[in-house]
Amino acid sequence: MHWLSKLRRRARLIVDRAGVEREMRDEMHFHLEMEAEELTRFGAEQSEAHRLARRRFGGVARFEDEARDARGGRWLEQLRQDTRYALRVLGRGRGFVAVAVLTLALGVGANTAIFSVVRGVLLRSLPYPEPERLVAVQSVIRGSPTAVSPPDFVDWRAQAKSFSGLAAYFLSTTNLTGTGEPERLTQARVSANFFDLLGVRPARGRGFLPGEDAVEAPRVAILSDGLWRRRFGAEPSIVGRTIRLDDFPTTVVGIAPPELKLPVGVDLWLTTRFEPRDVDPRARGARWIAVVGRLASGATLAGARAEMAAIANRLALADPRHDGGVTSRIATLQEDLVGGVRAPLLILLGAVGFVMLIACVNVASLALGRTAARETELTVRVALGAGRGRIARQILTENLVLAIGGGIAGLALAILGTRALVALAPGDLPLVHAVHVDGVVLSFSLAVTLLSGVAFGVVPALQASRQGIEARLRSGGRGLSLGSGRLRRVLVVTEVALAMTLLAGAGLLVRSLARLSSVDPGFRTDHLATFSVTLSPVRYPDAARQEQFTRQLETRLQRLPGVTSAGVSFALPLTNSGFGFTFAIGGRPEVSGPEEPRAQVRIATPDYFRAMGIPIVRGRGFTARDDETAPHVILISQEAARRYWPNEDPIGQTLMTGWGRDETHRFGGTIIGIVGDVRQFSLAMAPLPEIYGPLAQRPLDELSVVVHSTSPTATVLTAARETVRELDAELPVYDVRSYDDIVRESIAERRFYVTLLATFAGLALVLAAIGIYGVIAYSVQQRRRELGIRIALGATRERVIGLVMRQGMALTTAGALIGLGIAGLLTRVLRGQLYEVSATDPLTFVLVPVLLVVVALVACVVPARRAVAVDPATTIRAES
Amino acid sequence: MDARADLLQGTLDLLILKTLALGPLHGWGISKRIGQLSSDVLRVGQGSLYPALYRLEDRGWIEAEWGISPEGRKAKFYQLTAEGKRQLGTETETWRVFSLAVNHVLRAT
Repeated sequence: MHWLSKLRRRARLIVDRAGVEREMRDEMHFHLEMEAEELTRFGAEQSEAHRLARRRFGGVARFEDEARDARGGRWLEQLRQDTRYALRVLGRGRGFVAVAVLTLALGVGANTAIFSVVRGVLLRSLPYPEPERLVAVQSVIRGSPTAVSPPDFVDWRAQAKSFSGLAAYFLSTTNLTGTGEPERLTQARVSANFFDLLGVRPARGRGFLPGEDAVEAPRVAILSDGLWRRRFGAEPSIVGRTIRLDDFPTTVVGIAPPELKLPVGVDLWLTTRFEPRDVDPRARGARWIAVVGRLASGATLAGARAEMAAIANRLALADPRHDGGVTSRIATLQEDLVGGVRAPLLILLGAVGFVMLIACVNVASLALGRTAARETELTVRVALGAGRGRIARQILTENLVLAIGGGIAGLALAILGTRALVALAPGDLPLVHAVHVDGVVLSFSLAVTLLSGVAFGVVPALQASRQGIEARLRSGGRGLSLGSGRLRRVLVVTEVALAMTLLAGAGLLVRSLARLSSVDPGFRTDHLATFSVTLSPVRYPDAARQEQFTRQLETRLQRLPGVTSAGVSFALPLTNSGFGFTFAIGGRPEVSGPEEPRAQVRIATPDYFRAMGIPIVRGRGFTARDDETAPHVILISQEAARRYWPNEDPIGQTLMTGWGRDETHRFGGTIIGIVGDVRQFSLAMAPLPEIYGPLAQRPLDELSVVVHSTSPTATVLTAARETVRELDAELPVYDVRSYDDIVRESIAERRFYVTLLATFAGLALVLAAIGIYGVIAYSVQQRRRELGIRIALGATRERVIGLVMRQGMALTTAGALIGLGIAGLLTRVLRGQLYEVSATDPLTFVLVPVLLVVVALVACVVPARRAVAVDPATTIRAES
Repeated sequence: MDARADLLQGTLDLLILKTLALGPLHGWGISKRIGQLSSDVLRVGQGSLYPALYRLEDRGWIEAEWGISPEGRKAKFYQLTAEGKRQLGTETETWRVFSLAVNHVLRAT
């Protein structure tokens, strides 16, 4: 318990130092009194007794001081003194404190906010037991990872020994009907072992039982916590009840815990129920499922990779047509989920690191200026016996106090900033729900704060303690700022260089975003509205009924006021969906493996092309006569024509894909025309070859409708909903959006990162401007006398302004040149994030320095004007 | 601090601990009792007692409490802690060995 009482004494030294001191004085006073009384008893005179007692005791002040040392915690007392003194000193320079604290707050705030996102998304492990053993397995074709085909998955599961389990899952949608408004839900269809493999126990009810993923097993579902609360009022008795999904009765067997968010955005989990044709070896080429696995105990990632490579080899030999050249990729599940955002997040973290550096340099430079201005005070203190260490410690304490002030303000900014980031983050930023300010984040910002305090405090502290006292005294506290002036200029050049680097990076990304925003997606996005419906397989079981519904819907939509055209297709461009398939060209020898022709397969009504504004480049488009009784016809995109019919006319030729229920229902036909290219997956991705078939010849149950109109989108969409309800009140209408929104959302993530980076670069620019202003203003202050003499001797206004501006521009130019050099080296890390802009884009590398120079000019104007306002008479007299 | 001062300081610590082993005392009382017990041979510089007391308190060997002296005045009383008692044992032993060794050397000459 000794340390406890020691701690108590130390604490008392901080909170009640006066009390401790008083007790010490009382104690010694008591001693002197007792001694004097004793002496009186032995016959001494009263006054003589007191004198004698004092002599016997020795120097009271000396022993008091020794006792202070002896009672320990002396450093605490000094810290307390230094802090109080620092607060007093800082209190005198409100302007400086405001600028410094604001600068640091911005630095700490930005860093903490970005770090909290990095921590939540990249550093926190997944909320499952032994998350590092969970892996995602993908197929790889020609170097690019792709989905897995069910037959491959079945073979992997049978052969791989490195996993304690492998589970398949895929996302689709389903209509929930029968309870209130019909609703379109996102469902994950998963293998029966999915929950056990992740190590997740349902919050209520049970998980899936082995065999429940077979096609003949009864339909069972597990609800997500969100769906259970939103749609079923968190009613526990829902477990065991039957709900209608796509008109099929399905039993709810469990409720998932809230932390289970795999796959992202899922409303409920059902079992895979693969049809025999899904797992048929002939369907090996249809890759559409995701696979997650758990490494067996003792198995390593490298071992699993080697084993899967061997399996891929065997499969390639056994089925060269589909699996030739197909390899696999294993990554930890964490990596798989966040891999796409790692680079941009780390770039952002780097950028805020730069901002923090600039903030520190800035405050260091300001503090240096202040120390120089306090030379007289420091000189007096040295003369009075303060040691160099003591002075350095005093200055350092002042800067730490500043840093802590900045840190506290920064933390407040960070809490707001983190909330804003989470709110603004595009929906597909994975694990964003895990982002919040926690202990780790707080420790990070504390570390950043203290580090910054030391970083910007050490320089002025050393500077203050270095200069000799004699020199100071002799100069009368004037003209000695030369040394610190040079140091400050170095700091400002550094700051400008850092800001320049950041601006160049942001400039490149902004240019990329601008390029991307002006990319022609291949269709018209304005005045275009879209929505989707999915036909129930129970009430629309065959092609005839699906085709009939589609035709009725399209006709009615076209009759709506303001509607110029309406068409139907599926997996619309830029909605993150697509349906790639290999195909064979009639009359040519069959090609297998990676060289096999491949295209996005699409179904569309004749008016789809008109509504989307996709041009028919050659031949003819679909017409109403291309119905199920007519010969099958095909439209191909320009890219498909270029790639697969480079030297001949594709029109009139035939092609056949592998898509279809069986050999007689294959999707294919005679090419009748060529249509314009469309960017399917993202604006940044070049158009892929596409094949279109008429909807009348190949009806769909999942319909995406596009409506072009002159009326406002909202009006059209309301009318469209009403039209669907009139045809079938049980069908939920979903994905209701304007196409402009879809395009915006498709680049929302990039816009998010670019906006943040540009904000940080702007912040850096402002900080650098403050830095330049500080140095120039200080220099004008110091050179008042010299300027006064110049003016007195007849220097014109322009000359004096030029003198000051030149000084500022010299610093800016030096910083900008160094910054350009650093940027030239560093922007390479951005290469993956750029779109049609080179990492050393000349325009950016010219415009950004120009911007910097303009801002620097503005920062110099104020001090320059002050220089002109110098009144020669007063300044010369005042200082001579 | 040179070796002689260290030695003196260590000795003063031992004397304080020994004095307090007989019961709680205030600072003045300690200085008087050291004088009495050593028949006024050892004269402790009265002021230097206090840094020593504060140091011993900081090490946790003695603890202090304000109380009323027999003369009816407020005074700070020191007493040994359990750790202090152990320390007294160790230091007494060290002193014994030390003085034996010094005596031995002196006799040999």
